[in-house]
Amino acid sequence: MKYFRLVLRSLFRSKRRTILTVLFLAVSVFLIATLQSILATLDGFANNPNASNRIAVRHKVSLTNMLPLRYADWIRQQSEVEGVMALQWFGGIYQDPSNFFPNFAADPEPIIRIFKEEITDYSEAEWRDFLRDRNGCIVGEALAKKYGWRVGDVIPLQGTIFPINPRLNLRGIYRSKRTTDEQAMYFHYKLLEEGVPFMKGRVGSFWVRAKHPDDVPRLIERIDRHFSDAAEPTLSETENAFQLAFLKMMGDLATIIHSITGAVLVAILIVSANTMAMAIRERTTEVAVFRAMGFTGSQMLGILMAEGILLALMGGLSGLGLAWLAAGALRTGVGTVIPWLTDFTIPVDTMLFCLHVTMGLGILSTFIPAYRVVRRPIVEGLRAL
Amino acid sequence: MAADAIISCHAVAKSYWRGTLEIPVLQGLDLEIPRGGYYALMGPSGSGKTTLLNLIAGIDRPTGGTLEVCGYELNDLDDDQLAGWRSQHVGFIFQNYNLVPVLNAFENVELPLLLTGLSRRERREKVLEALALVNLTDRMENYPRQLSGGQEQRVAIARAIVTDPDLLVADEPTGALDAKNAEEVMALLERLNAELGKTILMVTHDPKAAHHARIQIHLEKGVLDRTVEVNR
Repeated sequence: MKYFRLVLRSLFRSKRRTILTVLFLAVSVFLIATLQSILATLDGFANNPNASNRIAVRHKVSLTNMLPLRYADWIRQQSEVEGVMALQWFGGIYQDPSNFFPNFAADPEPIIRIFKEEITDYSEAEWRDFLRDRNGCIVGEALAKKYGWRVGDVIPLQGTIFPINPRLNLRGIYRSKRTTDEQAMYFHYKLLEEGVPFMKGRVGSFWVRAKHPDDVPRLIERIDRHFSDAAEPTLSETENAFQLAFLKMMGDLATIIHSITGAVLVAILIVSANTMAMAIRERTTEVAVFRAMGFTGSQMLGILMAEGILLALMGGLSGLGLAWLAAGALRTGVGTVIPWLTDFTIPVDTMLFCLHVTMGLGILSTFIPAYRVVRRPIVEGLRAL
Repeated sequence: MAADAIISCHAVAKSYWRGTLEIPVLQGLDLEIPRGGYYALMGPSGSGKTTLLNLIAGIDRPTGGTLEVCGYELNDLDDDQLAGWRSQHVGFIFQNYNLVPVLNAFENVELPLLLTGLSRRERREKVLEALALVNLTDRMENYPRQLSGGQEQRVAIARAIVTDPDLLVADEPTGALDAKNAEEVMALLERLNAELGKTILMVTHDPKAAHHARIQIHLEKGVLDRTVEVNR
């Protein structure tokens, strides 16, 4: 601790250089933390533990090909099945294309059974009203709050995929444990089926709930085998695998983010190494004077390493602070456009990763120049003016 | 070794290598300096005076011979032991002062005390005492850039004596100073020798500075040429 003042003063010997290096590190760490957190959020979305019982069944060819609704009857008869629901991404717009939220046409009765982990709290009376009203819909509380909707309101949706513009009566508002799960709207599948002739008796996907997670692989295999020779063969997968495939439509985000992270890390290493090499080389004589006074090589190495680590820590913590502030802005800003980001945060794992990485790079970039200057004979160091 | 000798060099040799070419700097030098002595090492460039000073101060190692300084056979000490020995027994005064620019005068003087087990209060007392000795207590908050050359060298002297070492080694201590400041610094070293009994070994080219020493040792091509007692 008695060397801390010395370390701190030495670090700010060249204020401009130190501040610029800290700023560079902060921006780099901010970038890494934010990108990795987005990846973690999307990963979490595609690795939802609540979805372990659920299977998504779609057409084998693509998501845009339809399946006959009657498939639900056979699936429902399987002993491992707890519930089956026709589910169709509607993709409707509310007032303005920027008001994005997931809206689905679905079999109403099984919704709360299939999504029992997500729809955790609702009014029985509102639920009954929803089931009774073919033009009814239910929405998550966060979504209702965002647009100021109340039960009884009429919500007009403009179809983008399907040529109908339903006016939906808001019959119920459900609550979830996470805000992310309160972003969706569900309305009666019959409304879509009756309004769109080519959807008569057809649907984009079935959501199947198995009685036990252990039943899922067997069920997937049996459903696909049963319909393999049908005109519309199926492709069944876990809900998480389905979501991952859906996310992959955005490109291989993970590879892109990991590549950017790698490039930023290399840049950090180069800049830190350059800064520390310059800062230490300038002090060759000073290090020799310290050693002449009686400081050992290890003590000098420790002091110089502490400077490098402190520099890295200042950059790392500033970057994480920036990322934390940005996470708040993302939640309120981008979260309104991309509902999965409404719970966006910088996970503790990501913070620790960033801190470890910056400290590691601080050690790596400082050690070589520090070791070289400390190994140099004192008399040579004293002459190095 | 004489009973009162603080420095005893026996057949000390030092060579440098430039590729395969050996360049001898000191060639079997014998020298004894008594405790409390004030010696000036003189000689032309390349005579080996700074090399001898560095060997005696334990910041370089001889290629031959033995060196006993402040009761320790320096060849027997490893690098860390030698560092510990320097911190306790030797104070350094450099031509260019070599103060740490980001520390003020007080903090510069305190540096060698960081290696001791002294408390903060004890360190403060010792620093103030050393600064009082060089008459710079009023400038202790000043940074090196805010001090004159003479003041910087006095801070460096305070730093050298703050641990109360037996031996002060000075390499051209007045080399970067004007005549007035040089005279002040030399008077200060003389006082440290006379009043505190510090043994001083100083390398200098300056005959005026050398005149403050009691004994002048002249080196020539790595061997002792002559020893001259200064008459004042």
